[in-house]
Amino acid sequence: MLNDLLTAFQAVATVENFLIMAAGIWGGVIIGAIPGMTGTMAVTLALPFTFYMEPIPSILLLVALYKGSTYGGSVSAILIKTPGTASAACTTLDGYPLARQGKAGKALNMALYSSCTGDFISNISLIFIAAPLAMLALRIGPPEYFMLMVFALTTVAGVSGRSLLLGLVAACLGLLLATVGEDMYGSFRFDMTVEMRDGLSVAPVLIGLFAIPELLKLVVFRHAGAKTALELGDNRVTRAELRRSLKSLFKGSLIGVVMGAIPGIGPSAAAFSSYGEAQRTSKNHANFGKGEIEGIAASESANNGCCGSTMIPLLALGIPGDVITGVMLGAFMIHGLTPGPMLFEENLNEVYMLFIGMLFSSIMLFGAGKATMRFFTHISRIPPGLMAPIVLILCLFGIFAIANSMYDVIVLLAMGVFGFLMFLFAIPAAPFLIAFILGPMLEENLRRALAISRGDPSILVSSPITWLFAALAVFVVAVTIRRQLKKASA
Amino acid sequence: MGLVRGITVTAFFGIVLFVLIPVYVPRPNFIPGFAPPPDMWPRAISILGMGLGLLLAALSLSRKPQADTDPEDAGAIRDGTPLGTLVLRFVYAVLAFAGFIVAVHFVGFIVASIALLFAMLLLTGQWQRKGTVVLVALILPLVLYLFFSSALNTRFPAGSLATILGL
Repeated sequence: MLNDLLTAFQAVATVENFLIMAAGIWGGVIIGAIPGMTGTMAVTLALPFTFYMEPIPSILLLVALYKGSTYGGSVSAILIKTPGTASAACTTLDGYPLARQGKAGKALNMALYSSCTGDFISNISLIFIAAPLAMLALRIGPPEYFMLMVFALTTVAGVSGRSLLLGLVAACLGLLLATVGEDMYGSFRFDMTVEMRDGLSVAPVLIGLFAIPELLKLVVFRHAGAKTALELGDNRVTRAELRRSLKSLFKGSLIGVVMGAIPGIGPSAAAFSSYGEAQRTSKNHANFGKGEIEGIAASESANNGCCGSTMIPLLALGIPGDVITGVMLGAFMIHGLTPGPMLFEENLNEVYMLFIGMLFSSIMLFGAGKATMRFFTHISRIPPGLMAPIVLILCLFGIFAIANSMYDVIVLLAMGVFGFLMFLFAIPAAPFLIAFILGPMLEENLRRALAISRGDPSILVSSPITWLFAALAVFVVAVTIRRQLKKASA
Repeated sequence: MGLVRGITVTAFFGIVLFVLIPVYVPRPNFIPGFAPPPDMWPRAISILGMGLGLLLAALSLSRKPQADTDPEDAGAIRDGTPLGTLVLRFVYAVLAFAGFIVAVHFVGFIVASIALLFAMLLLTGQWQRKGTVVLVALILPLVLYLFFSSALNTRFPAGSLATILGL
């Protein structure tokens, strides 16, 4: 393994790769810092450009964007009390009060240190956990895979949004949309036009689903313009402040690693859990919410702690844990790499290159964060009403360029309108997208399992592994229902 | 809201199950081995979707509808704007999208993009920044056009008008 890692190190350490990662980190930080622009958007907008790149640099670009945007979300959270990304919402609680006290620079610095530490720990965990998990996954067949995906879908549906039922509806819509086009035996389904015989590409569906509804929300509801950003003020994090935050920082990183590795949980939940834990155990718990620097350490280390570990289920099992890794799954497939256990058999070199690149990007995140801190105040001031239409045009050009196809552009706009209607009905988008991506694999494994058993559905619960995943799915459903009933009765 | 949503979801999956699948997912004459037919999966999803829709509708009638509904409510960001205005804005946006798709065939991708960007900037309420709106609407699509066509060799539709004018 060490030899492989060294070889990968040599392959990754090129000027071209460093430039790509630096561009990704910078772009991600800037996009994440703009309210309304999310890491998902950053990754999806960059996806069409990666079509023209080699597989590993393109994945590294996407990963760098993801990391950059996760940190960037904290910038507007601290400066204008508007989290750039959902996972930075927790950072607002103490970041903005600190900024009001003239300590915005201090808050931003702590957010940067915590993000980099969480990210680095997460990457290390990815390197040591992903491969053994993939080896284990090689022993499972179609029924087990089907049940595993059912479990993953249930988890995503359960934790995205506040309603399991709506999450499941979203998953059904995604699964249904994934059936458009040619199936595994060559039959065409829902081919209302000739173009629909090729099915729907991942890129226009996911970009349409996430970028366009934001614009439509602005058009229909017309939010108030961006708030005024505060000046940076006091910059330094003192040694005493760092020392008292260390416990929360490392605990937050571990919470991020664990929660990131579970499909569907994601950085927002990790940040809030870590913040709650830090508040519970801190000596300064009374100061939380009023400008406690330990609170920033807890939330930022946890949300960036998810960045590497969300790649664990993706690389080892081929299951995206959240929307961003869903997009990355699409990127892997576009470049002929199929995430899952076979990736470690057939493309081990690429996997190690990815690991090394991710470690490099943690270091770059620190440099980019430090270098661009003052610039952020200007970025945060761009009004969303101006930014969203610009994003739309970027999407149109990017999507058309993928396949020189107006059909993809139509799909993009149609999915945008559909995504907005889903928002109106409070149907979450994440389970929809994950189901759309997993749908073909889910169906293929189900039909294969049924073909093996000559049509007997009991094959789906015929081994201990299938039982385990079925039990886990039932457990997730039960826990989610219990939580929702509790909330309703409160 | 919960009842309408439940009925809409049920109706959507119902239409897929009873109207679209029989027409657009035909069963082939020969299916290899014991493989399930191609309509098995869409049918299963549609039935499940209908069940979930009915459950949503039923729960909305119960005494505790919050148990399953009302997460991030669009009503919360509505800010007292009349429903008619909201619907009109949405219709304008959809018409702008449709207009863009139609316009591409006549005036080409670049002109249609400029028009769409201009319309969207106006629709998001940026009309006070007239100078910025005009500059952004003109310059951004041109820059993107130059980038994609020269760096990535993308050939954007020129439109029938350009052909007629011999451009």
